[in-house]
Amino acid sequence: MDVLYTIFSPKLMSQIFVGLSRTVILFIVASGLSLILGVLRIPNIWHGSLYMVGAFMTFTISGAFGGGSVGFWMALILAPLGVAFVSLIAERSFFQHLYEREHLMLLLLTFAFSLVFGDLVKMVWGMEYKSVPVPRIFQGSIHLFGGLPFPRYNVFLLVIGPVVAVALWLIVNKTKVGKISRAAAVDREMVGAVGINVSWVFAFVFMIGCLLAGLGGALVAPTVNVSLGMDHTLIMEAFLIVIIGGLGNIWGALLGALIFGLAQSLGILIWPQFGIVFPYAAVIVVLLLRPTGLLKSTW
Amino acid sequence: MLKNTLEGKGRIVGGAVIVLLFLFPLFLPRFYIYLVSIILLTGLLATSLNLPLGYGGIFQFHHAVFYGVGAYGAALTITKSGLSPWFGFVVAPLTAALLSLIMGLICIRLSKLYFGMLQISLGSLVWIIVYRWYSFTGGDNGIHGIPVPNVISSPNSAYYFTLLVTLLSLWALYKIINSPFGSALQGIRDNPVRSAMIGINVKLHQLVVLVIAGFFAGVAGSLFIVVDTAVFPDMLFWTLSLEVLIMCLLGGWFTFLGPMLGAAITIFMRTFVSGFTDYWTLPLGILMMLVIFFLPNGILGYIEEKLHGSLIEQTVKE
Amino acid sequence: MLEVKSLSKSFGGFVAVNGANLEVEKGEIVAVIGPNGAGKTTLFNLITGVLKPENGKVFFKGEDITGLPSYEVCKKGISRSFQVVNVFQRLSIFENVRISILSRERKTWNLFTPSAKLAVEETNGILESVGLMGKKDRTTGLISHGDRKVLEIAMALGGNPELLILDEPTAGMAPEETSHCIELIKDLSGKRGLTILFCEHDMEIVFGIANRIMVMVRGGTIIQGSCDEVRSNQAVQEAYLGGSDAC
Repeated sequence: MDVLYTIFSPKLMSQIFVGLSRTVILFIVASGLSLILGVLRIPNIWHGSLYMVGAFMTFTISGAFGGGSVGFWMALILAPLGVAFVSLIAERSFFQHLYEREHLMLLLLTFAFSLVFGDLVKMVWGMEYKSVPVPRIFQGSIHLFGGLPFPRYNVFLLVIGPVVAVALWLIVNKTKVGKISRAAAVDREMVGAVGINVSWVFAFVFMIGCLLAGLGGALVAPTVNVSLGMDHTLIMEAFLIVIIGGLGNIWGALLGALIFGLAQSLGILIWPQFGIVFPYAAVIVVLLLRPTGLLKSTW
Repeated sequence: MLKNTLEGKGRIVGGAVIVLLFLFPLFLPRFYIYLVSIILLTGLLATSLNLPLGYGGIFQFHHAVFYGVGAYGAALTITKSGLSPWFGFVVAPLTAALLSLIMGLICIRLSKLYFGMLQISLGSLVWIIVYRWYSFTGGDNGIHGIPVPNVISSPNSAYYFTLLVTLLSLWALYKIINSPFGSALQGIRDNPVRSAMIGINVKLHQLVVLVIAGFFAGVAGSLFIVVDTAVFPDMLFWTLSLEVLIMCLLGGWFTFLGPMLGAAITIFMRTFVSGFTDYWTLPLGILMMLVIFFLPNGILGYIEEKLHGSLIEQTVKE
Repeated sequence: MLEVKSLSKSFGGFVAVNGANLEVEKGEIVAVIGPNGAGKTTLFNLITGVLKPENGKVFFKGEDITGLPSYEVCKKGISRSFQVVNVFQRLSIFENVRISILSRERKTWNLFTPSAKLAVEETNGILESVGLMGKKDRTTGLISHGDRKVLEIAMALGGNPELLILDEPTAGMAPEETSHCIELIKDLSGKRGLTILFCEHDMEIVFGIANRIMVMVRGGTIIQGSCDEVRSNQAVQEAYLGGSDAC
């Protein structure tokens, strides 16, 4: 019993939980990215900007409602929707015209969008860090495992994560739109030939994917300094997660996010200076063993 | 007939440009000399990327890694080892080429997109190690005030050094593209299955081109040290890789001088727009969108098409 | 010269080639025929290294070449044209053929000599013999389909092969282009002594120039024999019930 206690020490357990909370955010963003990559074959670099926009919008919206709990909940609903709306406009106006061309062009277009939005965020919100207050019910910590405090907000995240995962799974597997999009991912032309308007299915999928990015940003806002540049690191991590999970595979995104989040927090525990390198090393190991990702991809 | 006159004119223009480049320090202020130096070495970087990208059809998504590794390799050799700084300039491209070989061996067995993705992963790993290894690499501050050999330390002499090395490198790359190897490469770009069927070992050729590209990226990296006497982790970051990709696309990725033109335009924009406002990435993003939609072969590509078109008209008339 | 024994390949659950057999003697012209989906192109892909077989063997001049990658197969002396046109679309016709020659001469590792000066005579020679000399500087992305199919053959010739495999060489061609192509094939066999293996849907062509015919149905070989033997074979007649299969 004592041995177990030493192995599963409070410090370790609390690091694991921290890692898991980070996993949730990574999963939500990565699942959106994976969806877009799997169905539309777009490597969406713009995703990072949308995450950042979601966070900044949360700051504004929650501030507009007084900065309290109401503000937070309103932001949690409105920010992702706002992001989704913007993404829909972008898809209809720009992206849909490039589907026939090479991936490289689509990738560069999403990069162009991220450049533009990087500046737009700077223009609208300025260059300083922003803070989003944690809503009252989630303030403070609960005590686990020998007294180490664990923020309540992180518990909230650990609950939200599976909820989003299940909701996404239901949409993709149980709704008509979801089934069509899965078919379209495999054979775009056939789906069109059967008379279904593939174009709007793509728009829908793109919107959902981007909504997830906005949601991730909104959820992460109370826990970090909302700042410029948060798009850059996150998009890199999200891409790596999608790759190791398997393109287009939602559960793959979850698995990848788990590996990434846990590798990071455990890494920091073992080797503080270079802990952050662990997830990247883990990614490389996975890719060397299974270059197409751990779970089945839709490509 | 027309083709010959075009080539003839092209040579005269090219010669004039080179002469002009040599004369710049006589009348341009120091800041512009620095700017042109940066354009030259970045153009070299972009041209080195275009070898696998535009001529080889390999989607090299993270070329900046080789540039950064070259620069850091030179910087660390100069500042940490007791050896002559010139040695650092030799180490830089060789390290970059070696890294390119290793990464190439790992990634080459994969098809296009996975190749790019694995490269990004490996590149990110290198970046993050450099970023965190504060004691060795200076972490996010980078390394400053690198002692460059006196003969090339003044702005003008740094400029001439850069100009010479860039011209030499471009000449070498031009020769390679026009060689049988370059022809085989273009064949691989257009149709790898066909290439294999006429006896070309596709993977091996691709690996060699990656090593060459890495080598010259390393050269560009060491040129940066000469011009700027500093290195930063940003030189290894994926945003730079994509910017270099944009330069190739903007100028024309099926042309030899396209990437250089793209580099010049991008750097001009960055320098002068940020003189007016903080928001220079927005115009760059918009420019990119315009190029993607209206000039998919880049500026030089567009010009070449127009000329080629009129060439065909001429031949038909004749 | 070429011997294929019990070659098999499946994709997932679908068996594309099922124990196919083939024999080609030196100097012969052999045709492979069969209904659509019989596995002819897959068979060619297996022989030339584009795909790896699961079972069976391929022998060329007595040597086991089963499963070798395409570029090795080419070096052994087999060249091939593709059914779906596979050329270098951004390059000129001349360049397409020249690369083929440079590859044969192992010159693709030469990094410094301007390729503009190499192999010019030989390229011109091949272009003359196939009739593409007049258009040699055109970009292949812009030429007609018929010309592209001839270019395919020209590129295969650049490898100076002993065995030439042609996958539906006249598919999609206009009538004059087709007869020009047939003459070309006869020339290659008669004057240059090349061994030729091809597949076609047009029975007139097949019975017109082939020495022997191999019939494939559903991935397997029904028979290989002379034109008369094949024409009178019952299984073949059943497979082709319904008339000609030209597409």
